Amino acid sequence: MLRVTDVRKVFGTAHDTYIALDNVSLDIADGEFLCLLGPSGCGKSTLLNILAGFEPPTSGSVTADGAPVTGAGRDRVMCFQDAGSALFPWLTVEENVRFGLRVRKIPKAGWDSIIDKYLRMVDLDRHRRKFPAQLSGGMRQRLQIARMLAVEPQVLLMDEPFAALDALTRRHMHAVLLEIWQRTGKTIVFVTHDIAEAISLADRIGMMSVGPRSVITKMIDVDMPRPRDLTNPRVAQLFNEIEALLAPDLARAE
Amino acid sequence: MANVRDSNSAAPAAKPGIKPGIASPFRWLRARIGAGRGQSLILSMVSLLFAGLIWHLLSTFVFNPFLIPPPLEVFYAAIPMIKSGEIFADVAISTTRVLVGFLTGSLVGIVAGVLLGRIRVLHDLFDPIIELLRYLSPTAMIPIAVIWFGIGEMSKYFLIFWGTLFIVLINTIAGVGRTPIARQRAAECLGATRLQIFVLVVIPSAVPYIVTGMRIAMASSFMSVIPAEILAADSGIGYLLQKSSMLLQTPRIFVALITICVLGFIVDRIFRFFVDRVLARYMSFVAVT
Repeated sequence: MLRVTDVRKVFGTAHDTYIALDNVSLDIADGEFLCLLGPSGCGKSTLLNILAGFEPPTSGSVTADGAPVTGAGRDRVMCFQDAGSALFPWLTVEENVRFGLRVRKIPKAGWDSIIDKYLRMVDLDRHRRKFPAQLSGGMRQRLQIARMLAVEPQVLLMDEPFAALDALTRRHMHAVLLEIWQRTGKTIVFVTHDIAEAISLADRIGMMSVGPRSVITKMIDVDMPRPRDLTNPRVAQLFNEIEALLAPDLARAE
Repeated sequence: MANVRDSNSAAPAAKPGIKPGIASPFRWLRARIGAGRGQSLILSMVSLLFAGLIWHLLSTFVFNPFLIPPPLEVFYAAIPMIKSGEIFADVAISTTRVLVGFLTGSLVGIVAGVLLGRIRVLHDLFDPIIELLRYLSPTAMIPIAVIWFGIGEMSKYFLIFWGTLFIVLINTIAGVGRTPIARQRAAECLGATRLQIFVLVVIPSAVPYIVTGMRIAMASSFMSVIPAEILAADSGIGYLLQKSSMLLQTPRIFVALITICVLGFIVDRIFRFFVDRVLARYMSFVAVT
């Protein structure tokens, strides 16, 4: 379980400070799919970076299974929005996956079967010898997912991973991700600014307010069977509720 | 990957109405090396022939042929220089100077660059010095190099080294600094140590910048070896230029000038061939999603 307690994050110097997060508290259960939803500049990526251990909170604490998070941990892996920068462009598809196995000193004998398993899971096993530049945006994002699954983390932290994809590819990626989540039982913390995306993926949606002093304004349980169709009246009603909640913030953000 | 572009820019098939005499070399080359390359090769040759023609006309009818000797006269001046091996000896000497200075300068530039690009304290410590010294071109350093090292080989090695060092250094620092944060963090959460991130992620990410710096430095080395040899040498192409100038042998000067052009071109092609063969996978700059 990930536990965030009274986290504040302040950027800048003594004279010019920006309070990004103000007393955010949050519990994330094992195996849960949590979406952090809010407009740009609401500090959701900052919160994710703190969860990953890339940045320390200014005050407050973050624990993973009771142990304080002080840096990037083996149990939590991040998936970045821009796969083009996050992948290693000089390594082929399979070499990108192998990188994590190599640096984690996983015995060589197991490499091939692990690479095979996860490339199959994201349907990239026919493209092993290609370089990231030869892949489409959706394929790159799938490669990033395979690369992170291969080191078998408990928690996947995803920072708007599908924001740069076209709508059709994004829907396909949602199906891929949900299937993987159901098969592997990972905990997923997924940052997005897309209401429809949050509704179709999440068990719970954490609504965040625009900064400075962002907080989680509301937790919404999405207690509906997947796949969730936006034409379903209950889903549509939830969409409208969330949109109404975001409206004042959007006006302020502009 | 390189083929993709060629097939896109392929020349349209010979249109009806084009005379067979013009179309056939195109067709022949297209069959041999592919349409796009065949066409651009022919255009390159046309360009060179046209330049030669203009040169001939200008030197014969417009300018004093003593000041601008016509191409044929330059050609006749080149024959004895080639036969005696004189020109090759000069080329070998100048090329050796360039290579020694260029390789040592690149090596020091890359090693210092990755360290300065990565370690903040070192960068802040050395950056002001680099920012000032980079304006001292190799040419500006000739007089002091002659006093320090004489007119032997060492002064030329030093001058080329000097010119190469700053170009490669600055590009390497930039390349190391521009490794995407996301890539370093991705490696970090996959389990890489700080040293592994540096060696396996940051340095490979900087390769395109380093190679670009080396290519610029290579071209600049060929430019700066000449003044060094003119002012402080008794061999090499620069010395040939200097000597021919004293003796008012303009055709020989032109032979030397053309030699510099061809030499620089060939060395750059060899460098690019090497990069394509060995470093191709590192050469894609950050892909845009």
